[in-house]
Amino acid sequence: MADVPADLPEAAGRRFADGAFTSALTVPDFAACLQLGLEPVAYVQGFCVMQWRWYGMGANFGPFGQFTGPGNRGYSENWPCPHGFVSAEHRGFGQNYEQSWIEDAWRQGFDAAYGRMIEEATSLGAHGIVGVVDASEPLGDLGVLEFRVQGTAVRVEGGPAPAEGRPWTTYLAGQRLAKSIEAGFAPVSIAAAVSSVRVWAYCVTEYLTEGSSPGWGYQVAAAEIEQTARAHMAVRRIARDQVRAQLAGDSFHGASMVTRQRELGQGDAELQCILRGNRVRRFKEFDPLPPPQPTVRLR
Amino acid sequence: MTPDLSPEAAGPDPAVLKGEMRAAAEFLSGTPPSDGTSRGAGSQRTSDLSIDEEFVLHSVGWEPIQLVCGVSLYSIPMGVWNWGQGEIGHASTAYARAFAAATDRIHRECTDVGGRGVVGVHVESEVHRHHVDVALVGTAVRSVGSKGLSADPVFVSDLSGRDFALLHASGWEPLGLAVGASFVYAPRRSAGVAIKQKSQNVELTNFTEAMYSARESAMERMQRAAMEMGGSGVVEVKVTEGPMGFARHAIGFTAYGTVVRLVAGRHQRLGPRMVLPLDDPVVQFEATAIRGR
Repeated sequence: MADVPADLPEAAGRRFADGAFTSALTVPDFAACLQLGLEPVAYVQGFCVMQWRWYGMGANFGPFGQFTGPGNRGYSENWPCPHGFVSAEHRGFGQNYEQSWIEDAWRQGFDAAYGRMIEEATSLGAHGIVGVVDASEPLGDLGVLEFRVQGTAVRVEGGPAPAEGRPWTTYLAGQRLAKSIEAGFAPVSIAAAVSSVRVWAYCVTEYLTEGSSPGWGYQVAAAEIEQTARAHMAVRRIARDQVRAQLAGDSFHGASMVTRQRELGQGDAELQCILRGNRVRRFKEFDPLPPPQPTVRLR
Repeated sequence: MTPDLSPEAAGPDPAVLKGEMRAAAEFLSGTPPSDGTSRGAGSQRTSDLSIDEEFVLHSVGWEPIQLVCGVSLYSIPMGVWNWGQGEIGHASTAYARAFAAATDRIHRECTDVGGRGVVGVHVESEVHRHHVDVALVGTAVRSVGSKGLSADPVFVSDLSGRDFALLHASGWEPLGLAVGASFVYAPRRSAGVAIKQKSQNVELTNFTEAMYSARESAMERMQRAAMEMGGSGVVEVKVTEGPMGFARHAIGFTAYGTVVRLVAGRHQRLGPRMVLPLDDPVVQFEATAIRGR
């Protein structure tokens, strides 16, 4: 065994030094990996429990009270009220903005957990990690978030050490990985990104979301809630852009996009989009398959 | 009949697979390819298709390009869910418009990346008291090797890569998503009728009729949309029906599916091959049966 990471418990180092391998692969995946010439080394895991400091978007206004744009970076859009001054309670201004500090905090937790998993695999001399599973969820009611990244470290029979000693990673395992290799795609790494957009509703969004009429006094027909719809498009676009920024020319396969909306009342909302998938690189020309033969299963 | 024991029937040769894995590992380690070709030049494609779907798409001459999406939210004015009679027009219109706007956006994203259509569209639609949300996410595809814009109209389909390939092989093509939705009040029973029916096994015809009414309007709208696209039918129709959680006296019925049209002279018979899988589940041993329970 190579150098054991300093932050790994001593018992883990002893466990890794034992002869038996560990793996989270199912038996069919295990069999398929052996067929590919992948020898399981160990079930490697990385954890990180994060408590966020208080984050804010920064100052929006300059020294003379003028609006200078949001203190965050990235997407933002303004929505001025079309009604003029109505009352102090009237939502005369709305804004959609990217909560880059939330994205940075998530990235920090995910990267720490992912890095620890990679560190374990590197210390074992693994070439890659297959069947990666990751999750981020609140830890009890402590107001903190736990990041977990796990997978099975493998060595390629007769294969060279990975570039810079850093193992490749993939969410795939077993037959799906075998098919990906057959198709000419080498796994590079998993890629994941989170995007977060806050909707501060202006009066029209508030009225439409709450079912009242922005036209005051007459019932309008169904109208698009444009501010929220654009926030939804933006949160998905940002997640895609962030993943593309990680690809460095490679392709992204088997993407899973999950978007959640937290409604905060009066049209306000917070949107979050998590996009994850496999970053792959073509290592040989693709041999197209013949058209598949349809079959009927007899039971 | 002699079983097929040819190497092709037994699956890929493990030695070849191991060789390919090793070639992939060598490629990633930075060793240049032995045949001197330059590979790895990325096209930065993104796709939510599985590797199986991508395989099957390639087999019929298509390839994924980019992950695309379209979202729209439409408002439903206050008070429309209160007791009334007939169709709740504002809600039906909001659903139809939200779907149309979301489809328009995913269509535009597909066109922008040079796609000829979108397959495997995941449709998420939610009806709230005051708004309808529709989100469509799928993968833009094009014919292998084609570049730039095509004069052919772009299609949006919720068919998986496998279903798209099967449809293609049968001589059909998808044209787009057709949707129909209708929300209808279940008329209130009179107090006398309600009391009389309290202790009876009786059909609540007001609800049954409302359901039929909503069903007919929704299905008719979906079929009309299909005909407007020039399709001959709709496949993979998905329906949802039932009372709205926030207005239990209102019945909603939504239906959507992929509009298809025959492009070959006639339907191409696929001629499926029959297979007898040998992995049938075994009968489980039941310990309780021994004790005669």
